[in-house]
Amino acid sequence: MRVALAEDSVLLREGLARLLGEAGFDVVAQCDNADDLLLKVRSYDPDVAIVDIRLPPTHNDEGLQAALDIRSQHPSVSVLVLSQYVELGLALKLLSDSAEGVGYLLKDRIGDVEEFVAAVRRVAAGGSALDPLIVQTLVSRQRPDDPLVQLTPREREVLELMAEGSSNQGIAEKLVITVRAVEKYVSSIFGKLGLPSTGSESRRVLAVLTFLRT
Amino acid sequence: MLGAIALLACAVPIRSFFVATTGDDVDIVAVGLLDWITVPYILAGAVAWLRRPESRLGPLMLAGGFASGLSALQLTHVDSLYTIGAIFDILPAALFLHVCLAFPDGRLRSRYESFLVGAAYAAALGLQLVKMSFGAFGARSLVELSAQPDLARTVEHVQLLSLSAICLGGAGVLITRRRQAGRPRRRLLALLIDLFALGLVMIAVLFTAGTFDWPGFLTIQRTTLAVIGIAPIVFLLGLLDARLARSAVGDLILELRADPAPADLRDALSDALRDPSLTLAYWLPDFQAYVDLAGREVELPAENGRTATLIERNGGHVAALIHDGALDDEPQLLGAVGAAAGISLENGRLHAELRARLEELKGSRARLLDAGHRERQNLERNLHDGAQQRLIALSLELSMLEQKLADRPALQSRLDSARREIATTLEELRDVARGIHPAVLSGHGLAVALESIAARAPLPVRLTVELDTRLPDRVEVAAFYVVSESLTNVAKHAEASGATVFVAKTSDGVVVEIVDNGVGGADTEKGSGLRGLADRVEALGGRLRVWTPLGGGTRVQAEIPCA
Repeated sequence: MRVALAEDSVLLREGLARLLGEAGFDVVAQCDNADDLLLKVRSYDPDVAIVDIRLPPTHNDEGLQAALDIRSQHPSVSVLVLSQYVELGLALKLLSDSAEGVGYLLKDRIGDVEEFVAAVRRVAAGGSALDPLIVQTLVSRQRPDDPLVQLTPREREVLELMAEGSSNQGIAEKLVITVRAVEKYVSSIFGKLGLPSTGSESRRVLAVLTFLRT
Repeated sequence: MLGAIALLACAVPIRSFFVATTGDDVDIVAVGLLDWITVPYILAGAVAWLRRPESRLGPLMLAGGFASGLSALQLTHVDSLYTIGAIFDILPAALFLHVCLAFPDGRLRSRYESFLVGAAYAAALGLQLVKMSFGAFGARSLVELSAQPDLARTVEHVQLLSLSAICLGGAGVLITRRRQAGRPRRRLLALLIDLFALGLVMIAVLFTAGTFDWPGFLTIQRTTLAVIGIAPIVFLLGLLDARLARSAVGDLILELRADPAPADLRDALSDALRDPSLTLAYWLPDFQAYVDLAGREVELPAENGRTATLIERNGGHVAALIHDGALDDEPQLLGAVGAAAGISLENGRLHAELRARLEELKGSRARLLDAGHRERQNLERNLHDGAQQRLIALSLELSMLEQKLADRPALQSRLDSARREIATTLEELRDVARGIHPAVLSGHGLAVALESIAARAPLPVRLTVELDTRLPDRVEVAAFYVVSESLTNVAKHAEASGATVFVAKTSDGVVVEIVDNGVGGADTEKGSGLRGLADRVEALGGRLRVWTPLGGGTRVQAEIPCA
């Protein structure tokens, strides 16, 4: 799998490149600013671009803008946005019309190499990865007549993993249950919350997000 | 001397009366019109000379009067007097032009004007002598050398037509001046200058009519003389008006005794000086600047036609009157008004100083807030680019090391716990950084930043943000803190089951509103943080209002301008 990397801290960029290289990725491009990234995505056509949300020159929204540009101009290239703070508003912006081939993770997650590599792989393959912190914020959000109270603790866990972008297989591994059991939980959750079943695993991320947002 | 001149002026009509009654074929109207010019010019000239001995205007007007008086000698039967009268026949026109252009201070303002006046004198006196030497005024003239009527006529045509052109040029100068400086604000002065221009045009018409023998020459001549004669009368009326204005100082003193509010002082002074355009500027020594009553800085005028008169009191600057340039003519009046207004001006100055200090304070409060904000932003950025990045890189390094130690589980677990330690540190650092400055706000704006605030609140919050553009940094920060502090207050004190947050653009800024359905009766002074929020909002020139009736929920509304 081919990766393009945009991160302005040399320390972190080289660490990431080494980590991804050892995990079997082909790091085809490394850069420290958004313009360069767009140029390299155009010429190398990677499977996934990993983008720091805070890029020069102003360190404001250049990274996010680059991610949105890649999503609209190169739909075949997945985008994984990294940030030292995760914000619900940004996640909603990034996933506004599709959760396919997109990820938004706290930079700290790099420290857990195994999980991080799995997330990169999932996003590169067209899936999604949403930081657990954001899912936490959404799930624990106060609502009048909270519909989530109908869920069992196990169902809640499955819902959170679903929102983070895990596949049924991934959820099964994490909770050490069978895929069949996961499927049962999923359909029970969709039934209780009144969500239409969508089939595709990445499409259901958006459905769950939309539900949790309100 | 004034008495002597007045006597002389009175003598002129008496002389004319005798001329008229003793002569056989004398045109009484012509004599009367000549006096109509002679007397006012002599009087006006004498008064102007007395008022301002250093100005050339008085002598010029006197000369005009005498010249026109002398030209009337043409009507006598004595040949020598007749000759003198003939020599001075045209000169009054040149003097009139000189007066028009030299008004009000007696000086000509450009080479072009000097040229016009010089040419006028040359034509009016030089060509007059030439044409007389060719016999233009007949055998009674004592300066006739040879009688050549055709040559004399040609010289006269050249003389009159060139004078016409020169007078039109003079009228053009007056019109140009007025276009550049604007119409004078005092009515009599404006009228006088209009009369000057009209008189010059009339003279040009008169001379052209004389050259080509137009019908109705006599009517044109009389009208011209009438117009020229009105000018010095208007001039005298203007002086009288100024005198009356001086008596207005008495009214001013009475008015000031009633101790008017600083705002009314300008109007009182403007009335006394009869200058509706008057501006009052106070001198603030600490600021080394002139300011108006609201404390805003005022530039003393460099523009055309306005003058600043400085007012001193107890040896120090107090204020400046910025007025119409025409008032320069009346330094005594300005001095009297300034002296009368002394104490009131001192009061006004204190008032203006207070306002100026208030403005300064407002500015410095906003600057302090800005400086604090910038400092926090820098701190947050340093944390982000420094410690946080390094810790993440370190954690990444440890994690990769851990993977390579699959055969030594004891080491692996120690590395793992070190990594967890780093993760906790990062989390704490993130909280600290967010507390210092919400980076997401400067990066992505209010709408994005408020989303998390609303989602994390311990009660259901409905958020509506109606903004299509980013706002200035300091406004966003203030609005952000209004929302986050208010929601914290709601959670702590309101016992509410829900809240709404509404943010929208207004014509000149942003309005932020937080409403809850709790118990109300919030403490708006101490402890609640509302005071701090109000300070922050007011420092930006905005306003924070709180409605918090007991049992009726609380509504916090902030309006922040984007200036």
